[in-house]
Amino acid sequence: MPGPSTLTNLVEFFWRDGFSRIHELQQKHIHEYGRIFKSRFGFQFVVSIADRDMVAQVLRAEKDTPQRASMESWQEYRDLRGRSTGLISAEGKKWLTMRSILRQRILKPRDVAVYSGEINEVVADLIKRIQTLRSQEVDGETVTNVNDLYFKYSMEAVATILYECRLGCLNNDVPQQTLDYIAALELMFSMFKTTMYAGAIPKWLRQFIPKPWEEFCRSWDGLFRFSQIHVDNQLREIESQMEKGKEVKGGLLTSLLISKELSLEELYANMTEMLLAGVDTTSFTLSWATYLLAKNPQIQQTVYNQIVENLGKDVVPTAEDIPRVPLVRAVLKETLRLFPVLPGNGRVTQEDMVLGGYLIPKGTQLALCHYSTSYDKEYFSAAEDFQPSRWLRHGYLDRVENFGSIPFGYGIRSCIGRRVAELEIHLVLIQLLQKFEIRTSPKTQSVLPKTHGLLCPAGAINVRYTDRREGQ
Amino acid sequence: MNMARSVSILRRTFMSRLHGAMCPKSNAATQVLTRSYMRSFTTSAKCQDAKSNIGSSEENLTVNFINRNGETLKATAKEGESLLEVVIRHHLNIDGFGACEGTLACSTCHLIFDQKAYDKLSSVTDEEMDMLDLAFGLSDTSRLGCQICMTKAIDGITVRVPTEVSDVRRDQVEKQNKQ
Repeated sequence: MPGPSTLTNLVEFFWRDGFSRIHELQQKHIHEYGRIFKSRFGFQFVVSIADRDMVAQVLRAEKDTPQRASMESWQEYRDLRGRSTGLISAEGKKWLTMRSILRQRILKPRDVAVYSGEINEVVADLIKRIQTLRSQEVDGETVTNVNDLYFKYSMEAVATILYECRLGCLNNDVPQQTLDYIAALELMFSMFKTTMYAGAIPKWLRQFIPKPWEEFCRSWDGLFRFSQIHVDNQLREIESQMEKGKEVKGGLLTSLLISKELSLEELYANMTEMLLAGVDTTSFTLSWATYLLAKNPQIQQTVYNQIVENLGKDVVPTAEDIPRVPLVRAVLKETLRLFPVLPGNGRVTQEDMVLGGYLIPKGTQLALCHYSTSYDKEYFSAAEDFQPSRWLRHGYLDRVENFGSIPFGYGIRSCIGRRVAELEIHLVLIQLLQKFEIRTSPKTQSVLPKTHGLLCPAGAINVRYTDRREGQ
Repeated sequence: MNMARSVSILRRTFMSRLHGAMCPKSNAATQVLTRSYMRSFTTSAKCQDAKSNIGSSEENLTVNFINRNGETLKATAKEGESLLEVVIRHHLNIDGFGACEGTLACSTCHLIFDQKAYDKLSSVTDEEMDMLDLAFGLSDTSRLGCQICMTKAIDGITVRVPTEVSDVRRDQVEKQNKQ
């Protein structure tokens, strides 16, 4: 099997900062070596796959407990602190048990639909926040670095679902506790690269270069502390309700606390990992969608027209309304095709398999190159262009079969927050477009993606939110 | 220190209290609690479009599944029960069927209907459509078993489990190996 040499890889990643360009390197290597190639990464041997059919083959062959990649450092932290693993860091039977419990609560579209009201309250706060921010600019319309704004929206929305409480992220004065959490989260991501390097360094070296590991632990401490506070708060609330003999009503956390299917430690861990997974992912996607809509005013107008015709100018939408605005769903799919938050995903083969004519032994680390397949001209015509309409079905039986773009993954280990994220994004996009025309401003720069753990905007996205006028 | 202690006390009371609360001999208040919990969550793969007779325990309907090897598996079904539930309840041996337990995250419960039965099925949601896009051996009358509820209208139907298409590349490699 062809592939870059170990030395080329070392130079590329460590010398030329390949980590932030992983998505581009994917494409470069595929161009040179084909849609399946091997590479060595320190001690780690990886087979990369950028062929839609091979990706399908791998994911369809999955059994009960697919494994993404070695999460050794995550596991090690949890052992060190006596913490449990969560859905991201757990493997095998333990993973399956927790997944089975959680998916029956937050993965079915109709279980998630009940959160429309809560999410819309956060959307209303976001719109108020946009109005405040733009009023501080000279033109009264521009908001700079929209990702900062959407980060707060996503965090607030996810927290209403996970913790059943509001954090106040979109207030003018953000509570200290929330600021602390954001700092821990930022530390987590700012260190991502360092821990990637640290992961390649053997453990015994830590005594000479202790900082990366210490910071890794410190940021996890912060993340765990935050979710523990909120889980414990809810627990106290339930207790006091029960003492008063009141009926206990609630959402996800309440039901998990009552059902006791997960231990308290498992709850802390899963709440921590789900919050971690549900903030940046959503905010980057919203940032890109905003950017793409601003850059493509005609497409934005078509989407807006559909919203006005099928829903109305100022009807507050719920999950039940989404099927009536297929272009909104299409905007999300197309945004994630162009900017898949996870540019690549990992799988460890659970048995021997033949891929692209090569025998891949059990236990091989595979890299599924979603970024490359998303831009493959054989799978998507005019692949560089933003064309949401490519996702529309032109009839009941029309299929848009595509393993080329599966931003949430596929199958038993796919994104558990998928339906929550979709709802958060659909509802906010509709209401943003009802209220504003999103336009470029002199401050709008060209923004490219970079990989920083996730695929994120390399620069600030600045746009204008112009009020819709009557008759527009 | 204080924090840690109060949390550990909290944890202990939580465990004992909820254990008490969830016992079969629970008092009225906790029964309300359990009921409200059951109400706010759909806990099984129950169909939302089966408006009447949900929970009917009569197994007076039948379904036939034609498995990949051509064998016909006959099963009784209750009204309102999803085809995935039927397969699980009868332990029908269909390899890899319903991996995500009806949460619309995979398409392993893909079934093929005949046209007449297909026309009588409930409408398909966007989410099911997206998952069907990723199913192999897709046909014009394909649906996901987890989304189809048994009704009198489709009593006695025969559905087909799509056969695994042989992998061209694997065949090629096997040929090469033999040569």
